[in-house]
Amino acid sequence: MEDRRWKVLILVVALAGAGWIAVNRVPGPDVAGASAEGRLTGQPLPAAPAVGHPAPEIQLVDTAGERFELSALRGTPVVLNFWATWCPPCRAEMPELEAAHVSLADQVAVVGVNQGESQAEVAAFAQGIGVSFPLPLDERMDASRTYAVRSLPTTFFIDRSGIIRRIQVGPLTEATLAQSLRAIYP
Amino acid sequence: MLPVLQIGPLAIQTYPLLVVLAGWAALAVGARAARLLQFDGDHVYNAGLYGFVGGVIAARLAHVVRFWPAYRSQPLEIFGFNTTAFLLWPGVVAAVAVAGWYIYRRRLPLRPMLDAFAPGLLVGLAIAAMGALLAGRNAGAATDLPWAIDLWGVRRHPVQAYEALGFLGVAAVSCAALRAGARLKIADGKSKMGVRPGALALTALLGWGLVVWFVEAFRTPEVAPTFGWPALLGGVRVWQVVGLGAALVAMGALRARARPMED
Repeated sequence: MEDRRWKVLILVVALAGAGWIAVNRVPGPDVAGASAEGRLTGQPLPAAPAVGHPAPEIQLVDTAGERFELSALRGTPVVLNFWATWCPPCRAEMPELEAAHVSLADQVAVVGVNQGESQAEVAAFAQGIGVSFPLPLDERMDASRTYAVRSLPTTFFIDRSGIIRRIQVGPLTEATLAQSLRAIYP
Repeated sequence: MLPVLQIGPLAIQTYPLLVVLAGWAALAVGARAARLLQFDGDHVYNAGLYGFVGGVIAARLAHVVRFWPAYRSQPLEIFGFNTTAFLLWPGVVAAVAVAGWYIYRRRLPLRPMLDAFAPGLLVGLAIAAMGALLAGRNAGAATDLPWAIDLWGVRRHPVQAYEALGFLGVAAVSCAALRAGARLKIADGKSKMGVRPGALALTALLGWGLVVWFVEAFRTPEVAPTFGWPALLGGVRVWQVVGLGAALVAMGALRARARPMED
């Protein structure tokens, strides 16, 4: 192709390219927590168990009989862990989660949603292993269904705005927990 | 959506599975392309596998260095099978460096090697995009179009499918040009009408850039893969700028190399 034709082609692509980018610009300021999808469509991004989406609400009762609502933790980063006593990797990561709960008290909320077991089972396990963070009981698996949890353990890392920033399927080690926490804290 | 493949008691995450398949397909297509370019396809496999191993080691070492206080108390985790205990960019840089070292040590022609890798990389990216579609990752923007898919109660562009089709289209054009060039070279024994070394790789880069520039407009910005950089800057979608930039760079390089071929 002649050089002149190349120059024209490059110019056309650059102009058309810039035009398409401008047409698809998202209006409004890039403010943290402000939904770009909301600015584009008028509808905010729906809650869903997926990265970038607001975390779906959970309303359960924990082992102490206290009501737990995920929305009450808005403004605090949350480590939302789904687990069960019969799951060996879940048990293996409990010390790491407890250590994070203790070292980051009042800065990061660690929550362990137990899947499908009774209050007595979970309370006995927690006492035996020395877990002190909240353990909401998902006895009917409603929260597990909402969060599409298909294997245990699964951990959702939720930022202060309630947006899911990272999902970890499989056990956490001290190092991978530290890595995942960077997505939501500080 | 099929984020997890359940085979009896085994739950396999579809996205990582398709990423592995994408890597294998990329090497297989690259090896085939290498044979059409008349050099040993095993070099593509070797460069790819050495690069992969080097990349994995570097990614894990970087993770260990970055989170050393955690590994100091659990040193056996350095060799653990945790599939998330890696840092991406050190791994990518190391993989490219190791593959480049292999090409250099074997005195392989760089531009034809890049031409061989190009269609395979596009095929691999297409397969990975379909994996993202199955897993509901990197979702499209809301739409009422008839081919929209339902994701978390909202009908959305199947933008991952758009990506896959675009990448496969560019790969098909690359492979067709490769085969045409190989046939002409065999037919007349001369290189005059053959594929200029490096042109396929640049054409693949041009195609990749145009696909990304176009398709990103149909993705929900919040869930665009960013690898650490913001998805939007001043409302402008960053990936669109990256795609257009890559396309223009490739066009500039093709223009610089455009001249009649010699025997």
